[in-house]
Amino acid sequence: MKHLSFILIISLAVSLFAAPLYAADALDLTIPLPLTGKQAKFGEIMKRSYEMAAEEINAKGGIKGKKLALSFEDSGAKPEIARAIVEKLIDVKKQPLIVGEYTSSCAKAVAAVAEERKTPYLVVASADDDITTQNYKYVFRQNEVNNHYADALVSFLKEIVKPKTIAILYESSAFGTSGATAMERDVQKLGAKIVLKEKFETGAIDFRPILGKVRQAQPDVVYTVSYANEAQLLMKQIKELRVEAKLYTGGAAGFAIPEFIDGAKDAAEYVVSATLWTPQLKYPGTKEYAEKYKSKYGGYPSYHGASAYAAVYVVKDALERAKDWSRDGIRDALKATNIKTAFGPVKFQDKDGYQNQNFMDTLAIQVIKGQFETIWPKQHASAPYVYPVPTWRERR
Amino acid sequence: MTSVQIEVLLQTLISGFLLGGLYALIGIGMTIIMGVMKIINLAHGELMMVAMYIAFILFSLFHIDPYLSVFIATPALFILGVAIQKYLINPVLKVESILPENQVILTVGIGMVLANIATIIFKSDYRQTPVDYATKAWYLSDIWKKAPIELSLSMPWSVSFVIAVLITACLWFFLAKTDTGKSIRATAQDHDAALLMGVNVNRMRVITFGLGSALVGAAGCLFIPIYYIYPDIGGQFTLIAFVITILGGLGSTVGAIIGGIILGLFESLTATYVGMGWAPVGRFVIFVAALVFLPGGVASLLKAKKFGR
Repeated sequence: MKHLSFILIISLAVSLFAAPLYAADALDLTIPLPLTGKQAKFGEIMKRSYEMAAEEINAKGGIKGKKLALSFEDSGAKPEIARAIVEKLIDVKKQPLIVGEYTSSCAKAVAAVAEERKTPYLVVASADDDITTQNYKYVFRQNEVNNHYADALVSFLKEIVKPKTIAILYESSAFGTSGATAMERDVQKLGAKIVLKEKFETGAIDFRPILGKVRQAQPDVVYTVSYANEAQLLMKQIKELRVEAKLYTGGAAGFAIPEFIDGAKDAAEYVVSATLWTPQLKYPGTKEYAEKYKSKYGGYPSYHGASAYAAVYVVKDALERAKDWSRDGIRDALKATNIKTAFGPVKFQDKDGYQNQNFMDTLAIQVIKGQFETIWPKQHASAPYVYPVPTWRERR
Repeated sequence: MTSVQIEVLLQTLISGFLLGGLYALIGIGMTIIMGVMKIINLAHGELMMVAMYIAFILFSLFHIDPYLSVFIATPALFILGVAIQKYLINPVLKVESILPENQVILTVGIGMVLANIATIIFKSDYRQTPVDYATKAWYLSDIWKKAPIELSLSMPWSVSFVIAVLITACLWFFLAKTDTGKSIRATAQDHDAALLMGVNVNRMRVITFGLGSALVGAAGCLFIPIYYIYPDIGGQFTLIAFVITILGGLGSTVGAIIGGIILGLFESLTATYVGMGWAPVGRFVIFVAALVFLPGGVASLLKAKKFGR
């Protein structure tokens, strides 16, 4: 009996917590994102940013007088779970708009559901090209696609570094693979040759075997696409093995988060990475958002956060313009979006085979004296670039 | 073979061996629990995660080197393991159930609880202990100026490896020479006979689970200077430990050591000569091959040669 009453109390407590915080004048928006598992780090940055934007909007009176009430569902970066969450949101909760997710494979799954159910879906930080090349009418993407992620980096390579040979290392994920394919295409434009293209598993511990091959191939530039921590492990092991190349470069994600510098320390120095956003950008609201985030959570956010923050404003803008809050009304309003956000200008276009895609300036950043500095393109630069970089032997 | 090819091969073997040594330590913990309890402890990786977080806290708050936290995290994990066995697994052992493996399922649950507690406390951030010597290495060309090839030996990896070997040696001594160690082995070999001989089997189980947890805890401390942590890191190490346990022969310590090194070497060689993306495939190929061609694992080979155990 003691056990039974205990269970009863627990279940009562759980049901109290689980009860929806429903208010008549509130606009409920549930956002699926990864809060557990390997990608949870990015999910968390985005969750905080969504909340910050919602707070700001609510403090200023909400959207058409309604307060925005955000809640989050954890997909654990698993497409099947993301899909189930979104099916529930659309079919049961009748939510007329979906925002969120992070990994490309989850976003793909969600996009398919949203299109099928004719519900607008705003993709916030998933880069795989396929998401906006399916002739979907209801899927909008705010961040740049993988194919153009590295545009600024490529132009930096083209004008300054002029490499003859390139080695590409990439993670075996949708993001890593499409990033590597895009780079392969860009390398042709640079007139360089790919001397090595190697895949590694997510969570790999020891990169020395492929680094041995890199050393054998002697490329001018090493380009790596990976999420999170493989980036810093890789740079540490490159430094240790003294694999010499003229420049080490990375394709956003793991190379553009503060943990990269914290973890790799001096091995991170001079590494150039593509990114979509930095706190140093001069868009309206960028600095305020970045500083507010930093004072609250003790570090600058990555572009994932900025995109999430901006997404709430994009939603606000669309909802304010929409003729009614039906799925199609919101879709039409999103389609006509043309605003400036802390993430940059947002405008959904049909161009180059993409539908409802926001095209934006991408950036190249370099780690200089243990700080990320925007180095390219020149109009966004916060510091002059460092090139040529010293060899590992010289750095001792 | 050109000198560059030799260089790549030697470097691959070195890193495979070092990785294998660390894998072995992770595997041994699971294998001795397997030997005595006849269950696979699927919370193994999560226990390692707990030790890694202990090392992380000690490093970031008190600036204690992760290698020194071996002496703190290992006993802490021993106590945690003992508590898990005594208060969670033992009660379940007594319960009659349809599934005889309900203790295994229980360990899955324990693992989930540990991972989620870690998520609540530490958030899902990736953490690391940025030690000063993280990228230090010894180079062949520093010692031998005219070396035709260049090899390097990472300092933290080597230190981790040496400590792993020392811990394994201590374990061997404990199991072979002490009374408790002998009782554990007796329990592993024949549970009923040990009981008849007056071995306190229940107590041995508790000690074994503690010991297994302590070993993987030590492995966690050795891993953190060269890796990173986040709350859900456990799964991948549980998997590695599981493969090693099967490869080594269920319950055999020597088998687990050899199994770990085989796995490390095999992974490194696959990465170099097939492609690093194939490393997980390699891991399962060796796993399936062990099940099909060598069901008793390395231990059965050792036994055939009247050696080991």
